[in-house]
Amino acid sequence: MKVAARLEQRQPDWVELDRLCSQSPTRLDAAALTRFAALYRAACADLALADAYQLPPNTVHYLHQLVGRAHNQLYRSRRLDVAGWRKTLLVDVPQRIVRDRCVQLSFVLFWATFLASGAMAYGRATWVEQILPASMLEMLETSFRDPIQDRDPELNYAMAAYYIRHNTGIGLRCFAWGILIIPGLRETLHNALILGAVFGYMRRPDVLAGENFFNFVTAHGPFELNAIVLAAGAGLRLGMGWLKTGGLTRAASLQKAGIEAMPMMGVAMLLFFLAALIEGFLSPTSLPYGLKAGVAILSAGMLVFYLLVLGFPRKGR
Amino acid sequence: MSSDALPIDTTVDIVTPEGIAFHYQVAGPFRRLPAYVIDVLIRIAALIGLGMLAQVLSIGLGAGSLAIWILAEFVLSWFYGGLFEAYWNGQTPGKRLMGIRVLSATGRPVNAYQAILRNIMRTVDLGPMISGEILGLPPVPLIPTCVLGLAVMAANRRFQRLGDLASRTMVVIEDRPWLAGVARIEDPRTYQLASYLPADLRVSRSLAAALAHYAERRRYFTPLRRREVARHVAVPLLAQFRLPDNTSYDLLLSAMYYRLFIADRADDETHAARAQAAMTGSPPGAPAAPADQPADASQPTVLRGGP
Repeated sequence: MKVAARLEQRQPDWVELDRLCSQSPTRLDAAALTRFAALYRAACADLALADAYQLPPNTVHYLHQLVGRAHNQLYRSRRLDVAGWRKTLLVDVPQRIVRDRCVQLSFVLFWATFLASGAMAYGRATWVEQILPASMLEMLETSFRDPIQDRDPELNYAMAAYYIRHNTGIGLRCFAWGILIIPGLRETLHNALILGAVFGYMRRPDVLAGENFFNFVTAHGPFELNAIVLAAGAGLRLGMGWLKTGGLTRAASLQKAGIEAMPMMGVAMLLFFLAALIEGFLSPTSLPYGLKAGVAILSAGMLVFYLLVLGFPRKGR
Repeated sequence: MSSDALPIDTTVDIVTPEGIAFHYQVAGPFRRLPAYVIDVLIRIAALIGLGMLAQVLSIGLGAGSLAIWILAEFVLSWFYGGLFEAYWNGQTPGKRLMGIRVLSATGRPVNAYQAILRNIMRTVDLGPMISGEILGLPPVPLIPTCVLGLAVMAANRRFQRLGDLASRTMVVIEDRPWLAGVARIEDPRTYQLASYLPADLRVSRSLAAALAHYAERRRYFTPLRRREVARHVAVPLLAQFRLPDNTSYDLLLSAMYYRLFIADRADDETHAARAQAAMTGSPPGAPAAPADQPADASQPTVLRGGP
């Protein structure tokens, strides 16, 4: 059989397959889907036999593109697997967080820097001036000068949304830049220094805004600060992925780290989200401080439960 | 094939579950950057649209609509690409317009985690950010330089940026294919020469491939260039078929192509008649025909001395 005759014979099928590829597969009916599969297999067979058929090069090129297109229509992206989330969230991630050296390191670095910066700020006024810009101090002083009043509840929605965007954005940046290690650590430690200095400064007896400040930050503090730790730790895991390969190729190791880091970042984002809700709806209210402290203790307790009970190292892992 | 023997090319071979190997062309920065710019513009347009909607709704909702706008801004800036790629089978609107698609590096489709991770990592690939002060602009917003992403893309075979490496994805070109079919033979003398070729003409696969390549490309060459290119194959073949030395080389290769790919001797007359009709009717789609004349005219002895 001559090539020209074969092309003439096969071409209608290819054109039909190409046409089916251009349509959304969800709109095809059962008969068309069956037809699609048959045509795709036939095109695959044509491509496999291209050499034996001595198909001309441009036809082979055409077939490569056609089969590639059909392949991408047939095998589709997997969407978010909501059913699998429960196991990921409650079993896999807590255990991974507890075991992960990068998260441990990030935890120690963040809190050590935070506490050290706080202690320095509490002890010396010059430290605060070095770390925090004057405008920021002024803003803190004015915004916490008066006891916290209930505000327009509608504004709470906007503020909660703002906190989600702002804080999760910081977390995502810590995570993403963690792949290069140094910028990630720099971002994380920078945040720890600033936050530590603010907390230490506000603890000083001569700062009048201190009481109001702690009234505001206590409730959402545990979730928010640890979310930064977790995001930074997950980012550091990415960076260590390509640096310390453990016998894999660099690309494979980085990809493995990516698979491990993504769910941790997911949990960090969940924490940011919860913290933002508390910060938006509970923290700026005139409810008694005891209640807010109770929420803080509860949220810290939930974290401890999550990590120590669910994350307790099990056998066979 | 070992990796150092691979051709210097931007194609990736994929083996499907059907046991077929086919290849993709990997998309480089010059296709991906426009796609990204389109996506950014769409995002900005969506935010402006939402903002106007919020303005309208704020009569009834107050600060609530502002909250929705802020959340939308957050989701669009971090998850626009990831969600589109997860739910649109590896494409964002910009990618669809540019005819490219994200695939897992194995050639399989991406899953949602890969799509989201590679888009979170974009912030690093666009970096390092420089302050606008250097260019005499206001310091915020920061200007992305894309240096990191481009450097990483240049350092691997598949144009993967950092986000692609971390999530093990790649971006391939997915054009709508265009089938050219067999090359057309315009010159009627080709059919005459073909009748002088052995009836049981058989050639090696490599020669058949070379003939097909030549026949597809020859219309882009001038007659002299055709002669030059065809000479290397045609001279030994002329000796083999005992054709006269002054036979047009181009015509010989065309005739062999015709005999091997298009028709047996039995069909020659119908093909020749069809070509003749096409010549006299001078269809618009035969640009190479007039260019053929001078050189072929200088080779009038083609058919004189057949075996």
